[in-house]
Amino acid sequence: MSASAPSPARRWRLDDRTTAVVLMLPPALLLFTLFVILPLLDAGYYSLFKWNGYGAPSEFVGLDNYAQVLGHGIFWQSVRNSVIVLVVSIVVQMPLALLLALLVYRQTPTNAAFRLVFFLPYILAEIASGLIWSFVFDGNTGVAAGMFAALGMKPFFILADKDWAFFAITVVVVWKYFGFHMMIYIAALQGVPAEMIEAGKIEGAGRWQIVRHILIPQIKPALMVSGFFAVVGSLQLFDVVIPLTNGGPSNSTHTIVTYLYAFGLTRLKVGFGSAVGVILFLAAIVVAVAYQRTLNKEAAR
Amino acid sequence: MNMSAFFAGLGRAVVLMLVSAFVLGPMLVTILGGFKSAGELRTNPFGFPQNWQTEFFSSILSDATFWRFLGNSLFISLVSVVLTLIVAAAAAYVFAQIRFFGARWLQAYLLLGLVFPFATAILPLFIKVRDLGLLDSYWAVILPQTAFGLSLSILLFKTFFEQLPKELFEAAWVEGCGYVRFFWRFTLPLSTPILATVGTFVFVSSWNNFLLPLVVLNSRELYTWPLGMMQFRGEYVVEWNRTLAFITLTILPSVAFFLAAQKYIVAGLTGGAVKG
Amino acid sequence: MNFKHFRAAAFLAAFASTALALPAFADTAIKVLRSEPGNEGEKALYQQMVTAYEAEHPGIDVQFEYLSTEAFKQKLPTLLQSDARPDLFYSWGGGVLADQAAAGFLKDITADVATEWADRYSAAGVKAFTIDGKIVGAPINASEVVFWTNLDLAEKAGIDIAAIKTWDEFLAAVKKAKDAGVTPIVVGGKDKWPLHFYYGYLALREAGAKGFADAIAGEGDGFASAPFVKAGEDFKKLVDLAPFQPGFMDTTFEQASGMFGDGKGLFHLMGDWDYGSAKQASVSSKGIDDARMSVLRFPAVEGGAGAADDTFGGLNGWAVSSTASAEAIDFLKFVNSPENLAKGAAAGYYIPATKGTEAGITNPFFKAMSEHLAVSQYHQVFLDQALGADVGATFNDVSADLAQGGVTPQEAAKTIQDAWSMR
Repeated sequence: MSASAPSPARRWRLDDRTTAVVLMLPPALLLFTLFVILPLLDAGYYSLFKWNGYGAPSEFVGLDNYAQVLGHGIFWQSVRNSVIVLVVSIVVQMPLALLLALLVYRQTPTNAAFRLVFFLPYILAEIASGLIWSFVFDGNTGVAAGMFAALGMKPFFILADKDWAFFAITVVVVWKYFGFHMMIYIAALQGVPAEMIEAGKIEGAGRWQIVRHILIPQIKPALMVSGFFAVVGSLQLFDVVIPLTNGGPSNSTHTIVTYLYAFGLTRLKVGFGSAVGVILFLAAIVVAVAYQRTLNKEAAR
Repeated sequence: MNMSAFFAGLGRAVVLMLVSAFVLGPMLVTILGGFKSAGELRTNPFGFPQNWQTEFFSSILSDATFWRFLGNSLFISLVSVVLTLIVAAAAAYVFAQIRFFGARWLQAYLLLGLVFPFATAILPLFIKVRDLGLLDSYWAVILPQTAFGLSLSILLFKTFFEQLPKELFEAAWVEGCGYVRFFWRFTLPLSTPILATVGTFVFVSSWNNFLLPLVVLNSRELYTWPLGMMQFRGEYVVEWNRTLAFITLTILPSVAFFLAAQKYIVAGLTGGAVKG
Repeated sequence: MNFKHFRAAAFLAAFASTALALPAFADTAIKVLRSEPGNEGEKALYQQMVTAYEAEHPGIDVQFEYLSTEAFKQKLPTLLQSDARPDLFYSWGGGVLADQAAAGFLKDITADVATEWADRYSAAGVKAFTIDGKIVGAPINASEVVFWTNLDLAEKAGIDIAAIKTWDEFLAAVKKAKDAGVTPIVVGGKDKWPLHFYYGYLALREAGAKGFADAIAGEGDGFASAPFVKAGEDFKKLVDLAPFQPGFMDTTFEQASGMFGDGKGLFHLMGDWDYGSAKQASVSSKGIDDARMSVLRFPAVEGGAGAADDTFGGLNGWAVSSTASAEAIDFLKFVNSPENLAKGAAAGYYIPATKGTEAGITNPFFKAMSEHLAVSQYHQVFLDQALGADVGATFNDVSADLAQGGVTPQEAAKTIQDAWSMR
């Protein structure tokens, strides 16, 4: 209100701002730089070598690893698969998560129970998820087998089929991760002030209208962030694929990271694997920036 | 679409039951699997066991090393949660509240953790941890894990903090409350939903982490439960029934943490703080 | 506030962990790292040996550590580069062992053990653990891959197992089985390495020891040369008969083993360990009755350069790391002595790589296999080991592609040669 505050008080406030920044930011920066950025730079360094992980890298090959990756058909197949997961995440997983969040965000005991149930797949260790779903899809004894039998069809071994195995994987991805997005939406919905909803009810708005005109706009930031995670996360998909198909059959179900793991790390071609990691990193940045730009354009409109 | 309460309620129930079936059906395999023989698990994964083999559960529960592994995992996960919550919330607060030169660049920098696959970092991380002398200690797992979780956590916190009413801060500022104090006294207490959410994510991902502990932990005494589970994976035959029994038991702490965290998700902002 | 709870929990846990601190070191420690053998009996046997050794040698503390096989393979490169490296570790030999030697992680123990090893172990065994003329370890066991056969199903299909001597006769038998409604072969295609047994064995029969040596040395077309292409064609003949169980590419080795134990297939091409795993993984936990099972040697291929009794399988043992102490080497001599190995053999865990042990083996199947191994002039180690991690994985991939009819024999051979020359 006053045009000029007394000098000592003003200086104190500036210091307070700086104090806050100096106190609260560096721990994150330090930890992050030390354990994420530096290893990233190291990986970039290794990508220029042919190295089996033993001793120190000694065989410099320049950009050879990158050329090999970009020329490898299986790599491009894995890119295609990762894009499929990305699309499924946005088109199937997020709407499902939003729907469920809207149904169970209020704090009641039954809702809490449902929330736990929906979140369970995310909690379950990947190794168990892979095993379980390989049983579900098993052509002999699984749920899939039962369904086919009921329809009078011959058993179909979906995970053994080069063309359909990845579809099975997308089902597992939705199963495993929708709970994650749901929880983000629930946290955001919890943050919507009760007064706003009350005001809407007073105005005579029905439930659907409250959802559409109050709740969803209020949690828009959460929706955008969850979308960002979906986009970036689908490129990183690794955990469910390995136990389920290990990238097979015939390397048709690799994602970029499982490709990195199978063709880089387990084959002791660390330089090659690092090159894939760097390529993924750069691609993901491009995708993330594109995502942000599109969102900003949407917001500006 | 008929909007009467009855149909809406029915629709809701149907959707919830369908999704629950989709989720729980496969989970049954985990729980029941721990009671079946190896052959039966293979041929009858979804049904009830013909003979309930309780030996797997009982042998695990009576094994002292199981509790040791569980304890190690618990310690590592809890400390990771505490560390992440403090460090990430603090950083996110700075980005949400304070404008300063280079803020946008730093934010983008901290998001890089989301675009970098952990698998690529394994070998460099091992070398880093070894050179820092942290190898074979709890911190060898806690610190890298926290670091990798920062991108996600900071982003979530920042999004949430930005939604908090600006008037609150202005009112406190006039009263003489500085940035740091405001963080402790107002922001955090109002952020329990997001704290609980981020805490749960961090706990779960730490709890299930296999690759990092494998590479940086050498002493059996420090093993986390995924490493302890390896003893059921032989050279040629995996004891899936024992593995599933083990996993059923190890889900419980995560579930407990989730339920405990749920209490802090409160519906709507309480009136007092906003109106004051 | 809730933070107090979090902090309290963290501090409590911190105190608890320091209270449970590791014991102080007193004795000389010998660290042994082994992949999980998957049966408690073998671990108990090692424990007995450790106890006996420690009783004889006060001041020595032998620590056995077990990791699951994939974890073991993942962790070894990093482990060998830290101070926590083991003195002795399990090894499947082959290219990976060679890589470890080349990086300087293994110890040359030739001077210490050369004569003793020559007395104890088969020539092939010692050779498997000699890199560039330097002995870097000791062999434990050799395994042979054979066709485990279900005699009941053979009878049902009217097949005389003993009469199968050549690949063509085998193909005829497969066809006969199919016509009789019997699934000819169960295979764990998902894991890929079971499929590489077929292609690998056929390559062994077609190319023989010399053919392999030439390919490895990079002579001529290497792995793309005629014998390897012919091996692919031989495999294709089998694949064209659709001999495998439905959905075989989604079946793991373990599932296939269990299926064999359940009597779901006539043949299972697998190593000696399948005896135990087929029983363990079967529904009844008992598998097929020993009397109703037989072991069929991999048939000869007419016109092939390889000898009909060349064997294909594993040759596993202990590798000695570069910082192993003299005490560790002494322990190695003890734990891997013929007497101790015989104990494992008697319990049916493996076929030891020692000379003249056939007599001590009671299991008739293992006995037969150890006789095959004794007679064999050339033992080809699993190609996914022998060729190193990278080319080995390619070999597995290619075998799986051939099994699905996804590549031609020429393409298959060329892919392997490309991978080999680029390694």
